[in-house]
Amino acid sequence: MKLDYTSRRTFLATGAALGASAVLSQRAAAQAAQPATSTPAVPGRLTFHGIDTWNGATIGTLRVDIAMLDGAQYRSIKSFDTATNGRSDGALFEGPTFKPGRYELTMHVADYYAALSTKLPSPPFLTLVPLRFNIADANQRYHIAVLFGPWSYAYYRGS
Amino acid sequence: MAGITTHVLNTMTGRPGADMRIDFSVFEGDRWRLVKSVRTNADGRTDEMVLKPEDTKVGQYELLFYVDEYFAKQGVTNADSFIEKVPVRFSVFDTKQHYHVPMLATPWSCATYRGS
Repeated sequence: MKLDYTSRRTFLATGAALGASAVLSQRAAAQAAQPATSTPAVPGRLTFHGIDTWNGATIGTLRVDIAMLDGAQYRSIKSFDTATNGRSDGALFEGPTFKPGRYELTMHVADYYAALSTKLPSPPFLTLVPLRFNIADANQRYHIAVLFGPWSYAYYRGS
Repeated sequence: MAGITTHVLNTMTGRPGADMRIDFSVFEGDRWRLVKSVRTNADGRTDEMVLKPEDTKVGQYELLFYVDEYFAKQGVTNADSFIEKVPVRFSVFDTKQHYHVPMLATPWSCATYRGS
């Protein structure tokens, strides 16, 4: 089965529904109805949004380490703290700084909840959460959307 | 029941994720040590528990799901593959409890949680 861009939108709606967020699901479904644009009008870029579904909003600051696969090892590139509402402060990479390849974003979930004084077992179920994905075409816009809590997470290619 | 179990679901089709390779590792000292590689059965589960209750210790564990290989075998070909091999890292904090850690996957999204 060959999947095109429109199909991906449909599955995005499925992924959002998995995150038990009716709002996201409706938004994704609305997007699914819109025609896909094939020619990017803007340079490729990578953005991030971590949504704390345990608290209903990302009320704290989430630390995220970025690494890229280099040979057999993931090599650290940089770290960032999320800004308002769990979003990255603008693009993490954009234009010529955005390279194709295998990425790993490691979210410091245990530190995030510890800073909010959330009562969790020790060691917590989730501590450092790796999100691995492939950027095949750095001329596209990639948005990494993550729904997380102390006991679960889901991530998908958002928009 | 205690110990560690998993379950793979292909949420693109709504079917169990059958015959997916999973590498199970434990964190020892400062590195991950591969314990075993398993494959899911027709129901998307493993025939035997990933880790039996008597072998489970407090610590960090990893399940590495071969999602890309699975979808390639399903005939799903997409040039801009996004989800490939997915590591899920979690802690066992009480060996008397059961840790069911499922993987719900499509080529563009995945989800995991502590189930039962």
